[in-house]
Amino acid sequence: MNVFVPKEMDGLWHILENEPGAAVYAGGTDLLVRLRAGMDVPPALVCLERIGELQGIRDEGDTVFIGACTTHTALLESGLIRDVLPVLHKAVRLLGSPPIRNMGTIGGNICTASPAGDTLPPLYLADGEVEVRSRAGARRMGIDRFILGPGRTALENGEVLSGVRVKKGWGYDVHHFEKVGQRKAMAISIASLAALVKTDASGAVAKIRLSWGSVGPLVVTMPEVEEALTGRPLTIDTLRSVRHLVERNVSPISDIRAGEEYRRRVASNMLLRLAEDGRRP
Amino acid sequence: MKIGESVPRSDGWSKVTGKEKYAADYYGPDFLWAGAKRAGIPHGRLLGIDAEGARKCPGVVSVLTHDDVPGPNRQGIVRQDQPVLVDGKIRRCGDAVALVLAHDRQTLKRAVDLVRLDVEPLPGVFDMEAALAADTPLVHEDWPSGNLLRHVAVSKGQGGKGLDLCDAIVEFYFETPRQEHAFLETQAGWAFSDEAGKIVIVASTQTPFRDRLEVAHALSLDANDVRVIAPYLGGAFGGKDGLTVQALLALAVLNSGGRPVKMWWDREESFRAGVKRLPGRMYYRLGARSDGRMTALACRLYFDGGPYAGLAGEIMTMAVEHAGGPYRIPHVQADGFCVYTNNPTGGPFRGFGVPQAAAAMEQAVDLLAEKLRMDPLELRMRNILVPGDRNCIGVAMVHSTSAGECLSALASHPLWKGREAWVRSAGPFKRRGIGVACLSHAMGYPKDVPDRAGAKIELTPVGTVRVYVGVSDMGQGNAATYLQIAGHMLDQDAERLELVLPDTERTLPCGSASASRCTYVYGNALIEAVAALRARILETASLLFPCAAGELALAPGCVLRRTTGETVPLSRISTALSDGRLVECFYQAPVAEEDSGIIYMGPHTIFSYGAHLARVEVDELTGAVEVTDYLAITDAGRIINPRLFEGQIEGAVAQGLGYALTESFAVEEGVILSASLATYTAPTALDVPDVASLAVGAAEETGPFGMKGAGEIAVSGPFPAVANGVAQAIGVRVKAGPLTAERLLLAGIDGTCDPKGPGP
Amino acid sequence: MKISFTLNGRATIIEADPGRRVIDLLREDLGLTGTKEACGTGECGACTILVDGESRLSCLMLAPQLEGRAITTIEGAAPDGRAASDVQEAFVSHGAVQCGFCTPGMVLAVYDLLKRDRAPGRARIREAISGNLCRCTGYGKIVDAVCAVVAERNRTGGRGQGNDR
Repeated sequence: MNVFVPKEMDGLWHILENEPGAAVYAGGTDLLVRLRAGMDVPPALVCLERIGELQGIRDEGDTVFIGACTTHTALLESGLIRDVLPVLHKAVRLLGSPPIRNMGTIGGNICTASPAGDTLPPLYLADGEVEVRSRAGARRMGIDRFILGPGRTALENGEVLSGVRVKKGWGYDVHHFEKVGQRKAMAISIASLAALVKTDASGAVAKIRLSWGSVGPLVVTMPEVEEALTGRPLTIDTLRSVRHLVERNVSPISDIRAGEEYRRRVASNMLLRLAEDGRRP
Repeated sequence: MKIGESVPRSDGWSKVTGKEKYAADYYGPDFLWAGAKRAGIPHGRLLGIDAEGARKCPGVVSVLTHDDVPGPNRQGIVRQDQPVLVDGKIRRCGDAVALVLAHDRQTLKRAVDLVRLDVEPLPGVFDMEAALAADTPLVHEDWPSGNLLRHVAVSKGQGGKGLDLCDAIVEFYFETPRQEHAFLETQAGWAFSDEAGKIVIVASTQTPFRDRLEVAHALSLDANDVRVIAPYLGGAFGGKDGLTVQALLALAVLNSGGRPVKMWWDREESFRAGVKRLPGRMYYRLGARSDGRMTALACRLYFDGGPYAGLAGEIMTMAVEHAGGPYRIPHVQADGFCVYTNNPTGGPFRGFGVPQAAAAMEQAVDLLAEKLRMDPLELRMRNILVPGDRNCIGVAMVHSTSAGECLSALASHPLWKGREAWVRSAGPFKRRGIGVACLSHAMGYPKDVPDRAGAKIELTPVGTVRVYVGVSDMGQGNAATYLQIAGHMLDQDAERLELVLPDTERTLPCGSASASRCTYVYGNALIEAVAALRARILETASLLFPCAAGELALAPGCVLRRTTGETVPLSRISTALSDGRLVECFYQAPVAEEDSGIIYMGPHTIFSYGAHLARVEVDELTGAVEVTDYLAITDAGRIINPRLFEGQIEGAVAQGLGYALTESFAVEEGVILSASLATYTAPTALDVPDVASLAVGAAEETGPFGMKGAGEIAVSGPFPAVANGVAQAIGVRVKAGPLTAERLLLAGIDGTCDPKGPGP
Repeated sequence: MKISFTLNGRATIIEADPGRRVIDLLREDLGLTGTKEACGTGECGACTILVDGESRLSCLMLAPQLEGRAITTIEGAAPDGRAASDVQEAFVSHGAVQCGFCTPGMVLAVYDLLKRDRAPGRARIREAISGNLCRCTGYGKIVDAVCAVVAERNRTGGRGQGNDR
């Protein structure tokens, strides 16, 4: 099987044109596992790890652009990300393990489009906008339109994800991420919650954004719940009052890691962790 | 190298530099890879094998089936009921049906996938209790008791009737799961035919000598024509106690046209084809008088052995022997049933039945304490065995029995003493609890199985001391311990000590690396051999000087005449000794006085003891359990090497925590659903707390330098200690393990609880 | 295809199939069996090597990815002229090695940590080795060994003696 490691975008386009069906990877932590299991049998592989243009984290003022081949470790070590989007930093901290983070990339996490992808809930909260490039040019779309379902994205033939643009999260004083897994590292999320909250001087919720992972085929957001919480104090009672809404808006499955009822209950329970009177110091 | 010191292990350097060669590391010029085509269905009749597509693959040398197996084609330790390659019935998904030999690994995989099996599926047996019902399909039609492999019953005093004497009785049911060994080095071997035509098998195995006999029987070979070598194993924990690759490799070598053959199961195959810890169902009734004296125990234990006898019946028996734990209970009725099913094969795993029994008994003890309104530690201390007592099957504790000291040490430990304050200071959404467990674990083989080892030691021509060890080192450090013993007794340092690892051609039979027996049994043989060699050395030296023996001392590389400072090198002594430089000694462990009729294969007589404490914190919102601190106190007699000992305790605790919390082995209708390390989650470094380990207790007089084996005992503590802690934390006991977050949340933690308020 | 890279400090050129996994290349083609395979799916860390000083899983890397890189395996983990690094010595003296099969990967994971963090505490160390499964030790003594190395390095003010740059 041919394996190509282009150094530049021109080389990449050439390969994609001449190797129809070639599978693209960066870190290989998802694709190479699938190949071993016989789940994919592509005629060729293309590794993106050497293409400089696809790496790097750029401060753009109100937004930050993260190259698709930015590894999770690079994200963790980025002072910029830690500063402007702590919710993403927290999620990546819990993803996989150190060598997996050294190899795996944000682009890979997005394109694998697993319902359990840990970078996804934070990216949704940051109004993530993906950039997709082809020889012809580039197009952009919201991440919620880019990811179509488990394992499916809007990538067309001849296109690669080149990066994702996120809004800086300075408007929020709470950046929260929690994930439930079978153990504390190397654990695929059973359920996860990402939250951005701004409270006003009286402690009431001025702005709140919530997203859940692993409790539906796609990341779940709940404007209904966010609305119900806005203007109210961030207490256990308040959060408890919307639990039924949360449980109504998730559509988890039962699989080998957990059952549907557990995922539903824990999705709403995790919300309580945001409570002022319940939060750990 | 003194006894009692934490001498760094002799194999540490080669392992930390990557130089140590494991069975999986053998390669060579022009060798073949061998791999098995496995059944993939749990029960069926094999009608035909179509290997044409596989044979046609370029790079495939041959595809072997049962037609190519000489001899009875049956392997097994106690009962030879397992085919090397299926010749009639398929009894589990992991059954090997065909063996492919190919030039490279990728071709091997392709060819194995191309082998087609024609099978008539049969209804399978998957539930260990339902398997015993009449009209259930039989796993072995020729087994006289149907799907019941073995029933063991032990009765003491008035048996179950003793419950009538009790003021408080608790009933408890608990189900323990399968567990996967998940050793890092999967099953592996390398085999070839030497110049004399002997089949040489280098295998990751705990039983090189027994393997040889099993392979020879299965393939109708002369055992003298089979040589088995066991390098350091990359972990085993019981999963390599018996044949894994050995018979298949021997068969491959018979058909490889003179080329060496390599077999190395990948992780998925290791999951599907390797043995697992037997799942168990324990039904307990435990009673006491109102003053806390335990009075009666009636229990039934069911074990699912899968389709092959292996050591499953023996594992169940060990559970029965330990069903009542380390307590003094006058009236006992314990029944164990080991059942044939079409589930993955059950086999030895550290603990060998005791973890299952302890998981149930130690929870029953806590429930009893609750009913009696007694502190759980107090109840245990009131009933703990002391020297001279009879255990639950009626055997007198005539060897070191420091179980009470374990409990006392726990009682005075800060983790116990500070428990109330700790529990009270739980943070938001956290509930805390403390759980204890008290354990015993029999060392060595049961009475009817001679527990023997042969030690061979040589003063080499260059004056080094070479120790020939026939019992495998699977990581526990027994090989290093033997060198420490030899070094201590001969006053030689590490550079002058050599080891020969198990080799049926060069080392003496020592029995299996199992049953917590390795250091005790081989160690005693070694001490005798070393003492004899030391005497010969000094005698020879006294003749060479000449001088009185009393003037002499051993020193690194020489014998020293203390009065004059003269030395004679050991190399010279070796020459002078001639054949006398080689000493062989056999040792056989003591057995219980009591009659073998008490229990199948007879009872054990030497036990290690332990008392464990787990501090657990349960998250109300997710149900997740965190063990923040763990204390393991062990009576293992005198400790030869504290660091090695601690390593065994800490490692066993980690495996026990995985068993209790994170390791969910999913099987449905005989098919393993969690067949990879992605879904079967063993604990990572973030999942195990620092473990405090203490050794207490009197010396074991019969043991090498006062020790007794304790490699297994600690694995049995975590499940009950954690379950007891969880019960205290959230007031809930579940009926089955592992204690996953899902199980606990759905069992009734109310996630809406006010963190400052009372629990549900 | 021809691939040239630096292996344990030496310039190396080899011929390999592009689809060949780096772990197979190391173990079978180059005879460096110190790097172990225990799962093949990135779950266990036994196959950890250093690529330009960073820990990576060689079971999930393909041969062409080696081009131009500096690769360190356990065979090259000792500093020049020495039999072992301070990390390796500490592993032995602290009882961090039992069966030893996880050890090569574990040592290199520690190198990656110490390159990034000069004074990690126990929790940070545990996180750093959370991608390396050990079934024998329960991890306690591995953490002890690394703590000892950290203490010694910070005491002497040195950068340590490992190839962990």
